[in-house]
Amino acid sequence: MTGKGEAAAQHREEEEDGEMVGVVKLISAEGFEFVIDKKAAMVSNTLRNMLTSPGGFAESRDNEVRFPEISTAILEKICQYFYWSLHYASGKETAEFPIEPEITLELMMAANYLDT
Amino acid sequence: MSGGGPPRKRNFKIEAFKHRVELDPKYAERTWKVLEHAIHEIYNHNASGLSFEELYRSAYNMVLHKYGEKLYNGLESTLTWRLKEISKSIEAAQGGLFLAELNAKWMDHNKALQMIRDILMYMDRTYVPTSHRTPVHELGLNLWRDHIIHHSMIHGRLLDTLLDLIHRERMGEVINRGLMRSITKMLMDLGPAVYQDDFEKPYLEVSASFYSGESQEFIECCDCGNYLKKAERRLNEEMERVSHYLDAGSEAKITSVVEKEMIANHMHRLVHMENSGLVNMLIDDKYEDLGRMYTLFRRVPDGLSTIRDMMTSYLRETGKQLVTDPERLKDPVEFVQCLLNEKDKHDKIISVAFGNDKTFQNALNSSFEFFINLNNRSPEFISLYVDDKLRKGLKGATEEDVEGILDKVMMLFRYLQEKDVFEKYYKQHLAKRLLSAKTVSDDAERSMIVKLKTECGYQFTSKLEGMFTDMKTSQDTMQDFYAKKSEELGDGPTLDVHILTTGSWPTQPSPPCTLPPEILVVCEKFRAYYLGTHSGRRLTWQTNMGTADIKATFGKGQKHELNVSTYQMCVLMLFNSNDGYTYKDIEQATEIPATDLKRCLQSLACVKGKNVLRKEPMSKDISEDDTFYFNDKFTSKLVKVKIGTVVAQKESEPEKQETRQRVEEDRKPQIEAAIVRIMKSRRVLDHNSIVAEVTKQLQARFLPNPVIIKKRIESLIEREFLERDKADRKLYRYLA
Repeated sequence: MTGKGEAAAQHREEEEDGEMVGVVKLISAEGFEFVIDKKAAMVSNTLRNMLTSPGGFAESRDNEVRFPEISTAILEKICQYFYWSLHYASGKETAEFPIEPEITLELMMAANYLDT
Repeated sequence: MSGGGPPRKRNFKIEAFKHRVELDPKYAERTWKVLEHAIHEIYNHNASGLSFEELYRSAYNMVLHKYGEKLYNGLESTLTWRLKEISKSIEAAQGGLFLAELNAKWMDHNKALQMIRDILMYMDRTYVPTSHRTPVHELGLNLWRDHIIHHSMIHGRLLDTLLDLIHRERMGEVINRGLMRSITKMLMDLGPAVYQDDFEKPYLEVSASFYSGESQEFIECCDCGNYLKKAERRLNEEMERVSHYLDAGSEAKITSVVEKEMIANHMHRLVHMENSGLVNMLIDDKYEDLGRMYTLFRRVPDGLSTIRDMMTSYLRETGKQLVTDPERLKDPVEFVQCLLNEKDKHDKIISVAFGNDKTFQNALNSSFEFFINLNNRSPEFISLYVDDKLRKGLKGATEEDVEGILDKVMMLFRYLQEKDVFEKYYKQHLAKRLLSAKTVSDDAERSMIVKLKTECGYQFTSKLEGMFTDMKTSQDTMQDFYAKKSEELGDGPTLDVHILTTGSWPTQPSPPCTLPPEILVVCEKFRAYYLGTHSGRRLTWQTNMGTADIKATFGKGQKHELNVSTYQMCVLMLFNSNDGYTYKDIEQATEIPATDLKRCLQSLACVKGKNVLRKEPMSKDISEDDTFYFNDKFTSKLVKVKIGTVVAQKESEPEKQETRQRVEEDRKPQIEAAIVRIMKSRRVLDHNSIVAEVTKQLQARFLPNPVIIKKRIESLIEREFLERDKADRKLYRYLA
């Protein structure tokens, strides 16, 4: 993480009133666990809703989300994308996000699901 | 990789999933059951065990598998069912709990709705826009509106409760503002139309009737000031109410209701209220009340003009009384001071209470202009006031004070229509001041001239300035005269001559009196000297305007220096050779005009403490049979005795007529000049246009009378400057 990205994230953190602090566990169909920063997970609107929706759904209580329909490989790629997006979304720096052709379709479906 | 990708992409995906749908035909029904159960759990506050991911995935898959409509309809009917349940519980709430229950249920519903929206987010994103359905959140609000707010058992009750609470607060009770705020916010959340139709409109109607009744009650029992205080308080309360728990958009509406009911409807009655209306406020300088009236009335149409009209008519009325009051006319200085005080008073009111409103200032100015010109002696009196101030009134005053007073006078001057009359009098008074060296401050005199100049232009003051120049040159001339001729003059009386340019000074040709021989000698010497240095000039002695200092020794040997006019000096000098003279003797010896002689004898013989002459028989007035003696017994504490002439300060009736006549004479060439100027540029013009143009050109100096303009035109036609048009007799042509 470069300084700039962090500063922007910190700023957003204050706005979200602490909801961005901490980590969240994402679990793939095969049971593989990815622990990522909450603010990275918030790149996905679906995840954001999941973690912030009122009423205490299981996910926001346990800080743990299971994806029975997303494979480990795809979920890993997604997590990489979260951090990539966090870093480069401001547009100040640019870099390619590499996608292997064979996982493109699956990745697209997951992106649609996650509203990313 | 972003949200709603282009539709082409989605088509691809749906293609790919078609096969799976066929795999499990009961899939949709089963999935919906899961979601329906979750919705009920959410409403039951039981959501903590639910998995967001699972629900979201279920909804996601239903939409992907083209069961979007089933999902949407299921949601709608489930929500409707829940809301019907909720409405029952709200209906059941008793009395004061009703609003609280409604609010609590609304909070629940809102929260549940948010959760439902979140888990159905995918449907909101894809199914709702493509099939033109209402988004989930909005759907929830609409259902709430239709099933709760518009429910027959709730609708009227809600409105009544709200209005009742507001009424109670108006009557001084404390109500739960937080709850009110939540409820009105709910109505706004349901859409501005709901707030307006179901609450705001009836609220405004009820308020209107409330304030209509209350204002009627107030106006019967309160005076104007108190009424306005109450109205102001009500207005502030209503604005406060809006800020506390109504929508900000209501403020303008409710204030306009209060304004209309409490102010606009009673405006005229308030202004005219006996013993406490506008006029009394003005008289008593009630700045606070006036300020309140101004700010309140400004809010309603025609409010300010109502105040303004009333003020104008009051000012005109009192002003008219002031300027036509014969008592007032006795003392010109007092008269002008009165006008100035009146002006100051209302200026202050306008600046303190009316926020320096330009339209009020204009109204004040036009009122003053109206009544000052009602009295044709105003120009004379204003000049007399300045005269008084410049003679003695300004002694000890600082420069700023002087400027202040002069500025105020100029303000009155601006109101005058007959500025030329003022000029005439000002010239007379200035001449007297200059010649008798009575002016207190040269700076003040000049400052006044500068003010007149900026106001009316060079032409207006050129003669006045000429007078100052004359005074200066006279001084130089006298110095030169004495420097050159001192040995020739010896011990004779000292002569101080003011050489006045004819035309610049308000001199009237008056036959010179016979000067005492001692004086005459010096005079002749001066004449010889002056004509020697300035050839081709003519000197005429204005004996009616001079002064003299003479030394007199009285019976017990006491010496006094008498300061007298030239005429008085001539009379007194006679007594050097003889102790007693009859009136006729004096008249013959001095050749002073009768009226002036009488005045000067009166001041020498009839003023106590200054009676250097004794008159037989003793009486107040001078008659032609009187005899005058040198008063040996004259005593005075002062060494220098100043014997003023008994001059009426303001003009007597015949003098006034005379001045007026002279003014009229002076106006004739000015009007003619204006006509010629206009005709020279226009060549042909009809009568009315000429009159209008002439009036316009001359209004800075005076207001010409159309009849006189007509006479001037006729005179110009006679002298062949103009001619009437042959075809149209109303047209005039300019003859070059």
